[in-house]
Amino acid sequence: MASRIEILNDGGFRSDGRKQYELRDISFDLSPQSSADGSASVSHGLTQVVVSVFGPREAKMRRETIHDRANINVEVNVAPFSAGERRRRGRGDKRILEFGSIIKSTFEPVIQTSLYPRSQIDIYVQILQQDGGVLQACVNATTLALASAGIPLLDFVCAVTGGVHSTSPLLDLTTLEENDVPHVTVAVMPRTGKVTLVTMETRLHVDRFEEIFRLACEAGKVLHKEMRAAVRERTGVLVAAIGAAPRGTSAGMDAGDRDVVMDERIDDY
Amino acid sequence: MASISLSKSEKSYIQTSLTSTPPIRGDGRSLLDYRPIALEIGVVPLANGSVRLNIGKSTHEGAGGTEVLAAVKLEVEDVVNGDGVDGGRVVCSVSCSPAAYPHLSSNALDDLSYDMTTVLNQTLAHPSLRPSNLGILPKKKSWGLHLDLIVLADSGNVFDALFMAARAALWDTKVPVTRVVEYQAKKGGAVRQDDMDVEQESGLDTRQVSRAVDFELPDYWDEGETLAGQDRWPVCVTLNIVSPIYYLDATLQEEASTPLRLLLALSFPKTEAPTLKASRLLGPGEVELSQIKALVQDGEKHAGELFAALEAKLREEDVRRNQKARDRFILR
Repeated sequence: MASRIEILNDGGFRSDGRKQYELRDISFDLSPQSSADGSASVSHGLTQVVVSVFGPREAKMRRETIHDRANINVEVNVAPFSAGERRRRGRGDKRILEFGSIIKSTFEPVIQTSLYPRSQIDIYVQILQQDGGVLQACVNATTLALASAGIPLLDFVCAVTGGVHSTSPLLDLTTLEENDVPHVTVAVMPRTGKVTLVTMETRLHVDRFEEIFRLACEAGKVLHKEMRAAVRERTGVLVAAIGAAPRGTSAGMDAGDRDVVMDERIDDY
Repeated sequence: MASISLSKSEKSYIQTSLTSTPPIRGDGRSLLDYRPIALEIGVVPLANGSVRLNIGKSTHEGAGGTEVLAAVKLEVEDVVNGDGVDGGRVVCSVSCSPAAYPHLSSNALDDLSYDMTTVLNQTLAHPSLRPSNLGILPKKKSWGLHLDLIVLADSGNVFDALFMAARAALWDTKVPVTRVVEYQAKKGGAVRQDDMDVEQESGLDTRQVSRAVDFELPDYWDEGETLAGQDRWPVCVTLNIVSPIYYLDATLQEEASTPLRLLLALSFPKTEAPTLKASRLLGPGEVELSQIKALVQDGEKHAGELFAALEAKLREEDVRRNQKARDRFILR
């Protein structure tokens, strides 16, 4: 199937002017939304997702409780105006349910659920804008929201989409590219190097898979740095707000410094 | 809709302080004060008009408050075969994010969204408010205007927020300019009558159509003209009635301890007198008939102030956006 747009031109640039391995602008906002215990808004380029986390708390439906660990409940909502064409998806929509269960199974091995038996952790995902890489945005936002809710995680989960155009791999695809190019979404736990999610809805030649997979894992590590910095910054703001931080701590300070500062404070007590 | 649970004594505490002289509210406002309202238009790049509106965001943390996201999308609808209406139609729908009502089950959430949708849709989709420039081809094609609102967070007074967001999104909406095009077959040209055989006798010959009518977009897609009747979209004020007084812009706690709420949606057309577009009584309480008239009159005054403030802010936002666009254009 020949496309009318050029995915990768002779100069090595993609349709939005990026290079092959270049990620789009990322922005993380960890400031609280509504009354959630933790929330994060993440955007990758034009894709924008807000995730709110409630819990651990008592389950709304008693029968959903599990006696030895917390139940994770994921609900996904897609804004009707998020894509190019208006489409309203109800709560029972199969695609949405699938999306929710993918997120759930990605985070089940990462959240230390056994610490909270007979309780529930609710993850509400609101997709506001879609321009490719919706799943990666959801996973990254969920990680940050869980972290800001103070729920113990074994590691960060960082997700990236990778695709391949003839033989050249691409990272972080837009809708335009996703429609044309086989792609995989990979979620890695950067510290341990474990992978919690690999999903693909298109066909990809088996020889190409390894290359993309390795690239996506590497990109996950890059994302991890950014996400960790965002969490650090947020923590710094909170610490400053309770007056525990020494004077002169500012948001502009680099992450490594603040780490040391916080350690010192703990020693003081 | 008491979204949070309050004990009887908490409710009576709030009610007593509201009715005392001078009245006292939890956040130090007077009875008729609104919390600060923040709004930004043009937040959804793929929509024809959009707004994010927040009532009562706290200044230091950037958190809290009632937050609504509204977006308008225009779609070409077929009047003959599709569900379009000649001259265009307006459809509103409200969906509530579960994060805004974390204690509600998903069924209860659907019911709540449906209630809000009904109030908005009945008011805004009314024929008296239909913009005149939604038609494309008379009796063939028209624009369907879909207004979708999402309640991202609720900390009281959600109806005022919804109506304000709806008004702002509709105000921001640009309808693409269309031009009617007509194709005509040459007389006695390509279509040769004598080639057509038996079917002609049925009188249902589609091949005989000598002209087809369609439309084209002479403009770049996201420019266009604003919706006609911009000034007529209503604003809503909610009068929270704790007899003998009423107050505006209730927080969740106040809402939960108020027995009766009166919604008034008023429209303020430039040339005509203000009109009441919708009114609703919510809650289990009751109000005397004689009071209603005074309440509506007061409501009109408050809605007028809200309308003027919103209008000023919208104009300011419009300048900001156009200015930005122009600057960006110059930089290119």
